[in-house]
Amino acid sequence: MPYCRYRTVGFESLLSREAPLRASKDSTSKTFDEEFLKKLEYLYIVSQKIAAGKFRAKRKTRLVGSGIDFADHRQYTPGDDVRNLDWRVYRRTEKLFLKLYEEEEDLHIYFLVDNSRSMHLGNPNKWQVARQLAAALAYIGLCNLDRVSIVPFSSHVTDRMAPTRGKAQIFKVFNFLERCEPGEQTTMKDAFRTFVNENKRAGLVVVISDYYDPSGFEEGLDILRYHRFEPMVIQLYDRRELEFSLQGDVELVDCETGEVRKMTVTPAMVREYRRVFEEFSNDLETYCTRRQILYFRAALQQSFEDLVLKIFRAGGFLK
Amino acid sequence: MQLTGLPIDTVTWIAALAAVLITVLYILKLRKKSVEIPFSPLWSQVMTTKSRRTDWWRRLKRLFSWFLHLLIAALLAAAMLGPHFDDEVIDERHVLILVDNSASMNATDVTGGHDRFDVARSKAREVLETIGGDDRVMVVMFNNRVQPLGPFVDDSSLIDAALREQRATANPTDLEQALSFAADSLRDRQPAELIIITDGASITDDTAFDIDLGEHTRVRHLKVGESSENLAITAFNARRYPSNRLDHEVFVEVRSFYDRPVEASLELRGNDRLIDTQPLSLEPGEIHRQFYPGQAVSGERLEARVRLVTEDARNVFPLDNRAYATVPPPQRLSVQLVSRGNLYVEGSLILNNHLDIEHVHPDDYDPNAEFDVTIFDGVGFEAPASGHLLYIDPPEEFSPFPISSRDDEPIITDVRSDHPLLRWVTLRDLNISSSKTFTLEAGDDPVASSFGQPIIAARDREGRRTVAIGFDVRNSDFPLRVAFPVFLLNVIDYFADDDTELMRTFPTGETWSIPVDYGIDSAQVVTPDGARLPAAVHHGAALFYGETPGFYELITDQGTTVVAANLADPQESDIQPRSIELADADVADDISDLLFDRRQLWILLLAIALVLLFVEWLTYNRRWTV
Repeated sequence: MPYCRYRTVGFESLLSREAPLRASKDSTSKTFDEEFLKKLEYLYIVSQKIAAGKFRAKRKTRLVGSGIDFADHRQYTPGDDVRNLDWRVYRRTEKLFLKLYEEEEDLHIYFLVDNSRSMHLGNPNKWQVARQLAAALAYIGLCNLDRVSIVPFSSHVTDRMAPTRGKAQIFKVFNFLERCEPGEQTTMKDAFRTFVNENKRAGLVVVISDYYDPSGFEEGLDILRYHRFEPMVIQLYDRRELEFSLQGDVELVDCETGEVRKMTVTPAMVREYRRVFEEFSNDLETYCTRRQILYFRAALQQSFEDLVLKIFRAGGFLK
Repeated sequence: MQLTGLPIDTVTWIAALAAVLITVLYILKLRKKSVEIPFSPLWSQVMTTKSRRTDWWRRLKRLFSWFLHLLIAALLAAAMLGPHFDDEVIDERHVLILVDNSASMNATDVTGGHDRFDVARSKAREVLETIGGDDRVMVVMFNNRVQPLGPFVDDSSLIDAALREQRATANPTDLEQALSFAADSLRDRQPAELIIITDGASITDDTAFDIDLGEHTRVRHLKVGESSENLAITAFNARRYPSNRLDHEVFVEVRSFYDRPVEASLELRGNDRLIDTQPLSLEPGEIHRQFYPGQAVSGERLEARVRLVTEDARNVFPLDNRAYATVPPPQRLSVQLVSRGNLYVEGSLILNNHLDIEHVHPDDYDPNAEFDVTIFDGVGFEAPASGHLLYIDPPEEFSPFPISSRDDEPIITDVRSDHPLLRWVTLRDLNISSSKTFTLEAGDDPVASSFGQPIIAARDREGRRTVAIGFDVRNSDFPLRVAFPVFLLNVIDYFADDDTELMRTFPTGETWSIPVDYGIDSAQVVTPDGARLPAAVHHGAALFYGETPGFYELITDQGTTVVAANLADPQESDIQPRSIELADADVADDISDLLFDRRQLWILLLAIALVLLFVEWLTYNRRWTV
């Protein structure tokens, strides 16, 4: 039995780009309901204001090539295409300079969404927010005609939505996210190794997870970087975990490993837990900062729109 | 340490079981609540840090918690034992507190109270406040009467309210009676504590009360009073002379209880007017007696006041500084003398100027005429409807006593010398030529008889008094004797019911009997403080109890009679505090070893256990000891 039900969303409403997104009448999904779609529309409009240009394949690579947007000059070297010589400059300087144009190509955006058991703990849980976040960002990517792929993972890559393009594909994203079933424990290095092997085309990799990996998150992210993927880290956490209200003698059961720890929780231990968690999060942030990886930390209880806008404003996702 | 609770074996078993149970519960791990967490390595890190810091402390805290529970169990077990200190008397005791409220307790020579009784009452209340829970206590007020404030009770607050309402009286003290009451009350209530709070003023120096208070009765005497300085009127009376109803004399006795000479003044007041004042110089212990001719004080309320003049002396007992007396107004009698002429009788009657004498010839005698006294001298008629009767040589048919015979030259052999008719009269060697003798009925008095044959007889029946003389006085030498007018005066006084003893002054603290007219069946008394109380009337006398010095008015349908009441008790005026001695028991003079404060240690232990339990609960819930 699937962990989450998915609903079929009417595809015809996505035929026109300008047409507002609208869920089918029989859609009863709570995660991706009509209200959510309105939020996506709003976020898209905001992203348009933040980003520059309205071109097809608006993401510009760093390559200088055959695009139409002027990028820079460089001195002519034999063998260059003479059609790109800038004669106006030659007339002023009597030196040959070549006009360079930005190369435009489709950007691949991969959403690596943690689907381990820890993401499904509680109600609401991190998984619900993670897939909303993934869907929102995917929608922006689809609207920008990027190639979007969703890859849920836990100890391995549990499933994969093939790269797709176009705004109309958002419901495909929804459907995929809806039918995802919980995975097992988190092992990023294994899952990411599988991912890089399966996806040769480098691109932006948005990793949405709580990063509760017993073997550590560093190795997994390093694998992405090594294979020239551009990681973007979104750490989700639940404030309820930090506000551990139950005190006294308890059995702590790890929801992923099933490991049991008997202990007596005291206020001091709760405070210590917060400190340890903060330290853990800071380690992740420090790791990302040092490697110029975009890092976002979001609480489950935080407003979804605020988080998305925060990502937009930070740049990196919108270029 | 004394134990009054559960047997120590039982408590030991219970405590041991509790200790084992507590230990087992501490050893056993309780089933803990399962909580699912997302990532246990973080908690592992916490536990590693915490355990590194507080492992030894946690063990210590757990040990402390275990020890705390054992301590609580031990405290509860100790509470069940009912412990008491060694110096506590744990047996149930009966405590009898005798509080003196006699007249001497009005003395003001005390500190810490208005008078001695005030201090005594405070001491009694102090004792009451420390009565133990198992004790039974009774408080008894005593003077010359014994008045328990209630039975033996375990709640001293019930007695306290009654005790606060008590006041000192003007009554003398009867300590022996109070001790007898205590002995009776404590006879079957051992062990007992008898606490006597008194000044001991009524005790003579060589008195040792021989009263069996029981083997296990401890006696304590809390003495109140500090001084003996007192100037007292110990007697104040007025009486009239037998020969003259208007002539009185007043007797005053003033006694000094100082151990040095003092100056004083004695005032005599009549109807609140100063009649006389005299300075007195009294030596230590001197008794000053003084008679006042009472010509001017007849019919008045007399009051004597003694006032201390010596400036550096202090009179601490004001109750006996005043004394009261009354002299009733003179009484006149109307006398009807039915006679053909008898100079001896007439002459004797004329000597008494308080008689209204009317000579009636036998032919003019009217039996319906009303006189206080009718004298039939050698004649006989039907007796009048009212008044007393004197028959002299009555004819046989009208004699009040049947005539049995006639004796010639009788010799008086038997006289009732205690009869009022023969007061100050002797009939020895009386020569009588001839006399009738009477046959008496039951209740008649043979005043003078000749060989058993009454010659002079008296009768007191139904309010009428009758005297009969069986011979004509003229045929004897009786009129030639001094005794004759005195005898006639005695007859008149007998009829008037007016003796010459001390008049209508009563001591406080007694039930007084005041004669009232025949037929009176109800009376009321107005006390010196103005209260109007009913008085019982029984056998021609009004009976009531008076305990306040002053004037009392006895009100009947026939009028008002004023009587006076005085302390008039030299023993009570001697306010020197004295110690009580018992023939068969020691008397302690304090209550320092009388530990009434029954400390219930089990309550304290229980409270400590509860506090510890609260501490344990608090520290557990605050996670300080877990």
